[in-house]
Order: sequence, then structure tokens, then C-alpha cells
Amino acid sequence: MKKRRFLSVLGLIGLTAALLISGCSSQSSTQQGDKVELYMGYSSDPPTKKKMEEIIAKFEQSHPHIKIKTMTAPYDDFYQKLTTQIAAGNAPDLWQSDGTKVFGYAQRGAILDITDYVTKEINKEELNGLEFNKDSDGKYWGVPQGIQVGALFYNKDLFDKAGVPYPTADWTWDDLKAASVKLTLDANGKHADDPAFDKKSVKQYGFAFFGSSRGAFNILKAYGGGVLDPTLKKSIINSPENKKAVEWMVDGMQRKLFPNPADLKAFQSNFKAFLSGAVAMQIDIYAATTSMNGAGLNYDVAPMPKGPDGKRFAPVIANSWVINKKAEEQKVKAAKEWITYWTTSDEAQKEWTEVGEAIPVKKSVANSEMFLNPATKPENKKVFLDTLEFAGTIDTNAVFTEWVKVFTDNLAELFMDKYGTDEFITKTDEGIQKVLDDFFKKQ
Amino acid sequence: MQKRFPLNKIVGYLFVIASALMMLVPFLTTVFNSLKTYKQYMQFPPEWLPNPTQWSNYTTVWEQANFSSYTINSLIVAILSVIGALLSSSMIAFAFARLRFPFRDTLFMIVLGTMMIPGIVTIVPQFIIFKNLGLLDTLAPLWILEWLGQPFAIFLMRQAFLNIPKDYEEAAKLDGCNPFQIYWRVFLPMCKPSLATLAVFTFMGKWNEILAPVIYLISDENFTLPIGILSLSGQYKTEDQLLVAGALISLIPILIVFLFAEKYFVEGSKTSGLK
Repeated sequence: MKKRRFLSVLGLIGLTAALLISGCSSQSSTQQGDKVELYMGYSSDPPTKKKMEEIIAKFEQSHPHIKIKTMTAPYDDFYQKLTTQIAAGNAPDLWQSDGTKVFGYAQRGAILDITDYVTKEINKEELNGLEFNKDSDGKYWGVPQGIQVGALFYNKDLFDKAGVPYPTADWTWDDLKAASVKLTLDANGKHADDPAFDKKSVKQYGFAFFGSSRGAFNILKAYGGGVLDPTLKKSIINSPENKKAVEWMVDGMQRKLFPNPADLKAFQSNFKAFLSGAVAMQIDIYAATTSMNGAGLNYDVAPMPKGPDGKRFAPVIANSWVINKKAEEQKVKAAKEWITYWTTSDEAQKEWTEVGEAIPVKKSVANSEMFLNPATKPENKKVFLDTLEFAGTIDTNAVFTEWVKVFTDNLAELFMDKYGTDEFITKTDEGIQKVLDDFFKKQ
Repeated sequence: MQKRFPLNKIVGYLFVIASALMMLVPFLTTVFNSLKTYKQYMQFPPEWLPNPTQWSNYTTVWEQANFSSYTINSLIVAILSVIGALLSSSMIAFAFARLRFPFRDTLFMIVLGTMMIPGIVTIVPQFIIFKNLGLLDTLAPLWILEWLGQPFAIFLMRQAFLNIPKDYEEAAKLDGCNPFQIYWRVFLPMCKPSLATLAVFTFMGKWNEILAPVIYLISDENFTLPIGILSLSGQYKTEDQLLVAGALISLIPILIVFLFAEKYFVEGSKTSGLK
């Protein structure tokens, strides 16, 4: 008797499982009537997701023949998922790619060359940042969705307290260091140039830099050096200009004007150092304004300082719409309609600007009162637009993450006095070249 | 007359109190952090107590992370996984522990060997299999593998079955039980502590799992809780205090499952007698 009951229970469980499996599975239809279903991917958090959904709804209203299906996830997970989907051959037809990943997708053959569309249908005069998606062969791989550009962020309260004038557009990196001396304080309130200054208990630093777009890369460039040559396949680390820039950084670290990687670790996150008011200046990109405003910081921005020969550099990341190379023709067409809508519609541009994460790609919106609004910090938002004139990409290629790791790991060892400048230069040069050769020579 | 507080007792209590504090302080810090404003959270050096106390973090996170609907999905996945893991792994383990068949030990070694393969390398092939089965964007890929046996669970249950003296099996055989009845009527009831352990592990693992849901689910309505909580983190700005609040809420079901399973852990010590 009992045995039978057990068997029937087991059977029931099996049946439920079978039903669940068959009930849950559904074949996605690609077309409903005459409608094209465009599969679109973007990374998001709650505010950006809400905004994007609103813009999609408006687009669908004005483009009734297109239905958009979305795939979205938080930043890191989004790219993990996308990588799997690309490998399995069912990635979205169109996705919003981080600007640092566009050339990577291109070099790995995942996205469509859209040079034709860009040259024929996009008005280059009206758009910010289009050129940053052009590779050294003149091909276009994406159309900007939102622009990030770097600037020098400074904490006004700390400057006022130290009686130091705010950074200006004429500043050189040496001016920045001179100001850092006055803005660096130890636990007893002594400045860095005071003989009694205690290097072991610094509680406020002059200037912080870390990572790639916020880091040493910008200083190397301003000094006339750099990391990769224009083909992005060769390391140019070993140069006298780079050596000079690196020596400038090491000097600042040794004098404790800049926090070294260990000092930054003490703040839990690199960003917290500036956000909590323990650092007077930091290189950051436009998107940082959201967290700085959230933290209630009294800050503003200035253009990136100049190098010894007057050269200036700021990082730019043009987050972009890219199209899947495997997308069907009618979907590619729909994807282009979406891109055209995104870049030309004032409505879409203004909606997205409200999120406050990116500089609008449409120039007329970027120059409007809506974006430049002095009522929200930073007051000097025009700095970001002016910076676009001299900004450049941060040598993004298919092995961007890998070479940046070699670069930042070695820099950390240098800043922690594990070795000297010369050894850093040769070691990093070899390390980065190996990463590049491992990928490009095997292709 | 005996002293009321002998020295060794005092030292003992001090030690216990100190250890308790070491466990409690990080937890309390988490609770306090969940009640801070973003501004206060970003302060350095950090303040311990929230000021002002932002109770609204909990309502915000409940709405933003879509807790109400994601919780149901998470529960479906976790419960189906637990049932599957308990049934399939214990059956397989019983075969490895008690039945005799050719290549039994070699097969067991192969099962153990699969534990050496990091899960991440099988993600793409698995994804392709589920894609061809038409199971993408359903909850099935998240729990169905548990119904096919998991190496660690098999190992755990096999160890438990091996510890049961052979006499029980022989007695059951004499009473006319077939192998399935021995498994179901004799072995399973005697291994409740191991089953409870396995249930808690599986539940926790599935409840907190993030990689598989992120990869297999596309539509909003299928998302599980960890995606909801993680979706609060932005590329440029993350409201950490909300993340912490979300994590605390999602801890509750695990606590409930653990409390429920606890009595079986205790029971484990009672069933060892055999005269």
C-alpha cells in the first residue's frame, strides 16, 4: 500500500517537472505580422533602466513597425552575459557597448562595420565623439550613445581652507604639484613643505589618480609619451617622455602628495578618497558627477593640466551603439533606425541627459542650457565640452583589459617602491608587448 | 564554601563574550550601514551609527529591486533544486555506497573528477545545450541540473550511507525489502542530518546564485532576487546603502531554512546506536 503511494508521489513529481519544463519553454518568434522585433541590449541600474524604457516606448510610438525586445543587466553582468551570448550565437541585434570595448568587439569579429551608414546617413557636424569609434583604417564601428570625458575635479572647500587659488586652464602638471604641496596635510595639520611634516600620518592628500581613464595614462600622454602606437598593436612605453612623466609621479608619491595604491586601499574604494573629502584633486570622467552630487561635495572641474611642452590630454570614452554582425538584414535596418532616432531626436537626447550620467551626443543638446545648467554642480560643465577638442581615446583594443592590468600592476609595484623607474619601463614594455603579440600575432 | 565566580569561569565567559562580539560587530555594522544615507555612507573615516536613520532605504530597495515578484522566482528555483538534489543525489549515492555493479568505483571516481572542472568553463557549452532545448529565459536551467545529481551532494550522501552498519541492510533484506525499499525506508530516515545539510547547502547556493540567472534569464518577469539586488549597482554610481539593505532582506529566508533544519542536525547524534 505504502509503496504504491510513494510511487504515485514520485510519478507526480516527475510529471510536474515535465509540465514545468514544457510550460516554461517558448520559442521566441522573430516577427509578428509585419512588425520587426529588434533585440536590444544595454547595461543599466534602476534610474537608467527606467529612462531607457521611456525612450523605447516613445520610439515604438513613432516607429510602429518596430517592436523592441530588451536584454539588460548591471554593468559587469551585462558584459558577462553578452560574451556568452556572442559565443553561442544569439546575442542582441544591437547593443550599447562601453566605449572601451567597441574596438575589441570589432577585432574579434562580433560587430558590423557601419562605415557606409555613418558616412551617408549621419551628420557628423551635429554629433559629439563620432571620430572616437573610427579605427586606424578609417572604419566606423559604432555610433556614440553617450560621451564620457575626463577633467580635473577639485574640492572647493579644501582649496578655500588652504587659501590656494582654484585650478585654471593654464595649469601645467607642475603647477598641480605645487598646489598639492599646500593641500597635503598630516594629522597635526602640517603642510607637506613643513620640515615637521609626518609622512606616516597623512590625513589629506593633494591629488589622486588610479586606473586607466583616471590614471597615469593621461599624464604620460601630456608629457608626450603614451602606451600604444596608433595601430594599437605595439607598445611605446620605452621612451624618454614616459620616463620623465613616471619620475614626476614617483616624486609625488614619495613626498606623499599623492596617495599610493596602499593609501587608497585604506579608503575601501579608490573613489571614496575624493568623495569623503580626503583628497583635494582627482582626475575623473563626467559620470563621476552623479556620485559627487549624491555625496554633497562642494566641487568644480577644470581642464586637464598641460605637460612641459604645452601638450594636453584628456581621456574620452564614447559609449556607443553597435550592431551585431550576425543580425538579419531587416533587423540591421531597424537597428539603424533606432540609432538615427537616438542621435537626432531632441526628445530622446534630453530624456537621457536627465539621468546625468553622460554628455549628450547631439551637439545642440550638449550646448543647451539644459545640460550646462549652472544650478547643478559642477558649475563649469563647459569644461567637458571644451575638453572634447583635445581629448583622445585610451588605447582601447581587443586586449585592453589585459594590457591595462599589466600597466596598473607594474605601476603599483613602482609606486610601492618595489623597483625603480628604469626597471618599470623595461618590464612594462615587455609585458604589454607580450599581451599584444599573444593576441594579434596569432590572428 | 565554594567561590561564586571561580577564575576559570570568568576567563571562559570573557572569551565567549569576546568571540560573540567578533561575530556581532560586523553584522551590526551591516545593519547600521543599511540605514545610512548615501552621503553618510561615503564618509571617511566612517561613522558607526546612522545619522539620520534612513528607514526608507528598505522601502526603496523593495521597490527598486522588485522584491515582491523576484522572491517568488527565487523560491521556485531554490525549492525545486532542493527536492531534486535530495532525491537524485541520494539515490545515486546509495548505488555507489551499497549496490554492487561493474566499474562502480571507477564511475564514482569519474563523478568526483567532474568536481575538478571549474563551473565557469562549462558555461558556454551548457548555454548552447539549453538554447537548443528551448529553455533559455525560463527558470528550468537554474534547477534542472540538480535533478541529475551533483558530485558534491553524491559524495556527501555516500559518506553518510557508508557509515550505516551493514546489519541494518541485512535485517531489512531478511524482512523482504528490495534495494529501493532499503534505500527509502531504512537508509534515508537514518541520514536525516546529512539530508538536512544538503538541503541547506543547496538552498543557500541557489538562493544566492547570480551567474546562471544572469546568463539564462532575459525577461524581467523571470529574474531572481540576486539579479534584483545587483541591478541596483550602476556602472558609475552605486547606492551601496541600498545594496546592503537588499542583502539583509534576502538573508531572512536562509535564516528560516537554517532554523528549520537545525533540529535534524541535533537528531543526528541520537541515531547512532546499534546493539
